[in-house]
Amino acid sequence: MATITENQEQAVAPQSEYTRFTPIQRFEHMVLLVTFTGLAITGLPQTYAEIEWVQTLIGFMGGIESLRIVHRILATILMAESIFHGGILSYKAIVLGKRATMIPGFKDIMDAINWVLFNLGFRSEHPHMPRYNFGEKVEYLAVVWGTVVMVITGFMMWNPIAIASILPGEVIPAARAAHAGEAILAVLSIVIWHMWNVHVRRFNKSMFTGTLSREAMEEEHAAELEFLESGGTYITNSEEVIKKRIPFLTGYAILMTAILVSILVWAITFETSAITTLPERGASFTTDIDPAIGDSDAGAVVWTDQGCDDCHGANGDAQGLEVGVSIVGRDISFEEFITDTRLGPAEMPAYSVGILTDEDIAHLWAWFQSLES
Amino acid sequence: MRRYAISLFVVGLVLMSYGLWLSIDISSVVAQDDVAAAPPTGNNSFCTVCHTENSTQVHTLADGTTVPVNVDASVIANSVHGESNPEGALGCVDCHGTDIFPHDDPPFANQREYSITASNVCIDCHTEESENLADDVHLTALYNGNQRAATCVDCHGSHDIQDPSENPINIAETCGTCHTIAYSQFEDSVHGQALLNGDENVPTCVSCHGVHGIQHPTTAQFRNRSPELCEDCHADEELMTEYDISTNVFNSYLSDFHGTTVALFEQNDPNVASNKAVCYDCHGVHDILAIDDENSSVVQSNLLATCRECHPDATDDFPDSWVGHYEPTFETHPFLTSVNIFYMILIPLVLAGLGFLVITDIIRMVRERLSGD
Repeated sequence: MATITENQEQAVAPQSEYTRFTPIQRFEHMVLLVTFTGLAITGLPQTYAEIEWVQTLIGFMGGIESLRIVHRILATILMAESIFHGGILSYKAIVLGKRATMIPGFKDIMDAINWVLFNLGFRSEHPHMPRYNFGEKVEYLAVVWGTVVMVITGFMMWNPIAIASILPGEVIPAARAAHAGEAILAVLSIVIWHMWNVHVRRFNKSMFTGTLSREAMEEEHAAELEFLESGGTYITNSEEVIKKRIPFLTGYAILMTAILVSILVWAITFETSAITTLPERGASFTTDIDPAIGDSDAGAVVWTDQGCDDCHGANGDAQGLEVGVSIVGRDISFEEFITDTRLGPAEMPAYSVGILTDEDIAHLWAWFQSLES
Repeated sequence: MRRYAISLFVVGLVLMSYGLWLSIDISSVVAQDDVAAAPPTGNNSFCTVCHTENSTQVHTLADGTTVPVNVDASVIANSVHGESNPEGALGCVDCHGTDIFPHDDPPFANQREYSITASNVCIDCHTEESENLADDVHLTALYNGNQRAATCVDCHGSHDIQDPSENPINIAETCGTCHTIAYSQFEDSVHGQALLNGDENVPTCVSCHGVHGIQHPTTAQFRNRSPELCEDCHADEELMTEYDISTNVFNSYLSDFHGTTVALFEQNDPNVASNKAVCYDCHGVHDILAIDDENSSVVQSNLLATCRECHPDATDDFPDSWVGHYEPTFETHPFLTSVNIFYMILIPLVLAGLGFLVITDIIRMVRERLSGD
């Protein structure tokens, strides 16, 4: 605080435009703008997928699977941005020694009340609000809270098997409910609050141009304006301290980025089984069958009983049949023979244990071997 | 003169091609339905002179097998084509045509070839059925050279045809003559057991697979549409009350991750296979058991094993992530219901708060405009 008082000694002449956001902040906002909008567009239809026109919309956007992939890519970008934002915050707090201007306090509650009273005509003057007024603080903190909730619940839905191995299974549908609830809350809040404040009430372009007019500053950030015009600055650390801390923070930032990016990569590649497996009913089988138990005569019976001959022919050569292929002279191991029979390659149906016993397969193998000789 | 000859030649060529085309088409199994079938004549001609009930004569086919030629006229009389036929009873020549005696046409290669050829006459009258046959699995298999594929007479019989709607058990048993494994599974299933006990509400083979025009059940389209097959009965309030089964099963499936995805595939990409579970992946196909049966794939003690068919890494708690087909309550799902209640309160509260602030802003703007500020 000492530095502020020092700086305050020399007052600054009023300007027409005041810097609000650095290029980095504007870049972060753009990333947030794109990912938030994209996440809402790809996410909300998934919540309302039972509505018919939403289904058409999903089809128009490339189908549900593509939508989910795009949603996850955008989520990954947003998570990376959150990590980046954390780094920027620690730089500002530790190196520059800036005051935290987003932390709400008692004054913000009073500002909100006075703002309403001013709006309703009970106050002749609007409250003198700081660099970030109550509305902006609410919005910023809502984004932080919302992102935390969405990342945690999204991660749970993304990796349900791993989560269910450490937490009760019920948290997954609960996470789904929270993810949807938070999404609806966030989108409606943005539509009502953000749209109204920076697009309708006053088209505030400061997030893109970086500056805000004196008039707008006076109305929305009077306390900030007074602070700036009295020569105030937020950087409380001296240049020596900053210089001394930069290498320290650089190391810290590299380390933290490495750790957090590793966590991010770990998180998004955590588990794939839930989204890649295909139902393989009856696909569990053993290849550990003793071929010696097979009998070629019994195999010939199985061959016709199961209709193998319908596709492969009575003698396995598919003679005169338009479907099926000859299996005569095929050089495969018993293990491959079992696998092919159980899984059914190409057009061939799979013969599960319920249809062909392990013994039947041994018989068929014996019969198959007799063809070769 | 030469010009006439050319014209005549062209006309002749066209007629010949047409004739050739017709002959090809007639020899195919699907008949041209624009040729109206002649009404039944009931004419037995002289057939019954030799083809008596007690005739011991046999007909020798090209492959040397012999077929008895005796015909029991009372069997036909008691069939759907007999006296009860509203169109009039059919006579021998209505199906077999007028054959000149002695029957010196070259004999059929074997009995199967005769059956397949004989089925051609059915569609002369049953044109509606023939129209549905276009993509039928059996007909396709027959075209592809599988002589064992079912034709009309294999399911319906020939002289002894009965009304298929009369006894649903017969339908299952008829299919079961070839589809032995499917039948033996069905027989022990909850549907099969009810059918055998005389319950005619339960599905038989044709309820799900269709009758004429059976689709291959392994196609993506069949898989994606399969929940609708179950829905036909299981979302029917009136029908389900009788069995005390919830009709919420279909809606609860659709609102879940699996169901939403499958419904979207059905809507947008019916021919692309989805790896998300459909009804039969969990409940079984022909072998569906009552949900409280100790061998049921969805009874609590077997649920994990069922989940693992697709999610091999699933652990003990994973099945709990499926909310179930019943409306979740605080007792069954405390966490999920709490989250729902939380957002049910938070969303309107936040929106009301933000909305209130926006309205006071609007009030001020209106007031300022009115007072000309």
